[in-house]
Amino acid sequence: MIKFSNTIRQLTVSALFPMIIFMLLISQAAAKEKISIWLGYGETLAPFEMVKDKFEKKYPNYEVNILTFSLRDFESKLASSMPTGAGPDLLTLHDFIIPKYLDEGLLEPMPKDLTAIVNDPAKMNPTYTNIIAREGKVYGVPYWTGRSAIFYNLDHFKEAGLTSPPDTIEEFWEYAEKLTKKDANGDIERAGMTMRLTGPSGGTQKFGYLYYQMAGMQMLEPGKKVGTIRVTLKENMDIAVQALLDRINHLHGERKVDDWKLKHDAQGFASGTAAMLLRETWAIAFIKKNGPKIKFGTALMPKGKIRGAFNYIEVLSVSSMSKSKEKVWEFIRMLQEQKALALLLKESGYSPLRLDRDFSAFLKENPLYKAVMEDVAGYSQYIEAPNTAYKEVTTRFGEVLQDAYRDSSLVNNKEGVKSVILKLQKTAEEILDDSGILSE
Amino acid sequence: MYSKVIATFSSKKLRSLYQKFNHRHGIWILSGLGSVYLLFIIIRIFPIFETIRLSFYRYHIIKKHTPFIGLKNYERLLRDENFHIALSNTIQFAFMAVLCTLIVALTIAILLRSIEHVSPFFETLFYIPVITSWVPASVIWKWLYDPTFGLINYFLSLFGIAKQGWLQEPDLILYAIVMVASWKMIGYYIIVFTVGLKNIPISYLEAAEIDGASALQRLRYIILPLLRPIILFATVMSTIQFFNVFAPVYVLTASAQGAPAYDLKVVVSEIYRNGFEYYKMGYAGAESVVLLVLVMSMVTLQFTLFRERK
Repeated sequence: MIKFSNTIRQLTVSALFPMIIFMLLISQAAAKEKISIWLGYGETLAPFEMVKDKFEKKYPNYEVNILTFSLRDFESKLASSMPTGAGPDLLTLHDFIIPKYLDEGLLEPMPKDLTAIVNDPAKMNPTYTNIIAREGKVYGVPYWTGRSAIFYNLDHFKEAGLTSPPDTIEEFWEYAEKLTKKDANGDIERAGMTMRLTGPSGGTQKFGYLYYQMAGMQMLEPGKKVGTIRVTLKENMDIAVQALLDRINHLHGERKVDDWKLKHDAQGFASGTAAMLLRETWAIAFIKKNGPKIKFGTALMPKGKIRGAFNYIEVLSVSSMSKSKEKVWEFIRMLQEQKALALLLKESGYSPLRLDRDFSAFLKENPLYKAVMEDVAGYSQYIEAPNTAYKEVTTRFGEVLQDAYRDSSLVNNKEGVKSVILKLQKTAEEILDDSGILSE
Repeated sequence: MYSKVIATFSSKKLRSLYQKFNHRHGIWILSGLGSVYLLFIIIRIFPIFETIRLSFYRYHIIKKHTPFIGLKNYERLLRDENFHIALSNTIQFAFMAVLCTLIVALTIAILLRSIEHVSPFFETLFYIPVITSWVPASVIWKWLYDPTFGLINYFLSLFGIAKQGWLQEPDLILYAIVMVASWKMIGYYIIVFTVGLKNIPISYLEAAEIDGASALQRLRYIILPLLRPIILFATVMSTIQFFNVFAPVYVLTASAQGAPAYDLKVVVSEIYRNGFEYYKMGYAGAESVVLLVLVMSMVTLQFTLFRERK
């Protein structure tokens, strides 16, 4: 037998010991089940991180990995990874992309306890539940919403002698004209109302805000058969013409309230070059951050035939290919706790959809959120009808709108605008038909 | 030691082995380049054929069912107004960008020859945009083009010229993007033309000068004819580059918050939109095939026009 000196033995032991520890750690880590979560809205990360810590303590055999992407990257990555099973276990889906995954059987039906919560009108507004229910089964928990509202600059209102936000659509345009500020050459220095003149799908959405109030319905409504869509412009032709004329007439000539050359949208409002803006919840935090000197208020959407607010919601679902479905649902349960939802609201500004949770303390501190959080009688909440061709329809639709906005020959031209509306109807119907979801 | 190695090398066995390889030249080359060729086929050739194949299917990334639809994607392209606009914009863009880039690059390259002692400095300066990637370069231009705070409008205002919506006006945006693309690529073609100009024997130009040829005549009858192969190379390369324009259009026309821009359509952005936003890969494939055929036709035409006649 070979005998080693003490030094060699000690050296061997000291080299082997860390190796063994290292191997143990690797095997320990390898033994852990992994749960992956992808987020398209990075600003909602905080509650996920909080729940992750709690979850990993409670279930030490699980490791939660959270990745955040830009929204467009998130959508693309999800689309290419989900069918191959390489996607995340927990899906955060915004309403309009849900049908793509639901129709292909890529989402897991919810356990009974969560279904009961979601189906309880005291805990969740049924408007939000309907889009994730199929044949009696529910496939996700509506998590948060971004809701539209009027944003108005208090100093600009004071300067124009206006004391309160506009209540009706007529008042809205009247105020916009009063609030517009022009220089000596007649060029607009400050928009009375900053419109969404570019960015096709966003432009469609913003046009739809006022169309909804005027028509009492959206431009795209669910068809009779589940998953199908009908285009409502033709049936509301006069209203659609008026809604488009309102914009075109305020983009050219004497009544002009906005210009392409100005800073636009939330950034335009935050930089003080716009007096009014129609936007959603997130813009409150954005304006506070990017325009700290801007004094502004928020109000309910202006009234037409009806009064209602557009909502875009995020839903928490589980992949049907996940290996840890039960535990992922458990993670979702933990995200629904008061502390986690309060953190979501505080950090991101998005309003949690659970009606049985209390956010009054937050509202007291942040009254600007009242217009986008409080449920007011007669103020309807709507979401766009999700469909598999949503992105294409809204983009192509918006392109037609953008071109119409630029066409000064359409000012007060009802016949010309009518042909634009017919083109919009045709554009949308062709795409829906091609995708096989045009309602009969 | 050295002689020992030579002796070993010249041993019969090695010599016969060398002769065998020498005779089978193809195998020798293949063993060296085979892996490179294989990679080239996998990365470059296979995707082209796969794209052509997909263009005959209704292939949607998420949907499990992928039916064969023959030429329907191509039929739809004939009716697709957006694709027609994109195609027209791309042709206009490529034509203007190729012309602008090559004329400016050639002019600068010729001028730099007259200040040979400092030309490397200027060549380096002009080359900086080439090594800057498209996205940051486009972002910089987006700031410059800003209608309210942009430097270009500020500069124009000094001469009493009104503010222009460079990226907002449909009539201006194409020129604005041509300017960015040319700015980015001019440095590369200056180098290409400089190499060509350096290869023109100085004696030809001196002889012409002694014979009384003017600068314009020397350019017309000596420089341009001798630069013909270089001009062909530059035209083909820039045509391919500019027909495939995407990044500057994508960045400059992205309607971010408060920075709206006109949604200028080009073919590659339509391919991107159909493929990665609407997930209609089959249709995007058909658009790619049309672009491929178009670019190949343009390149063939250029070869026919510029190739030196025997």
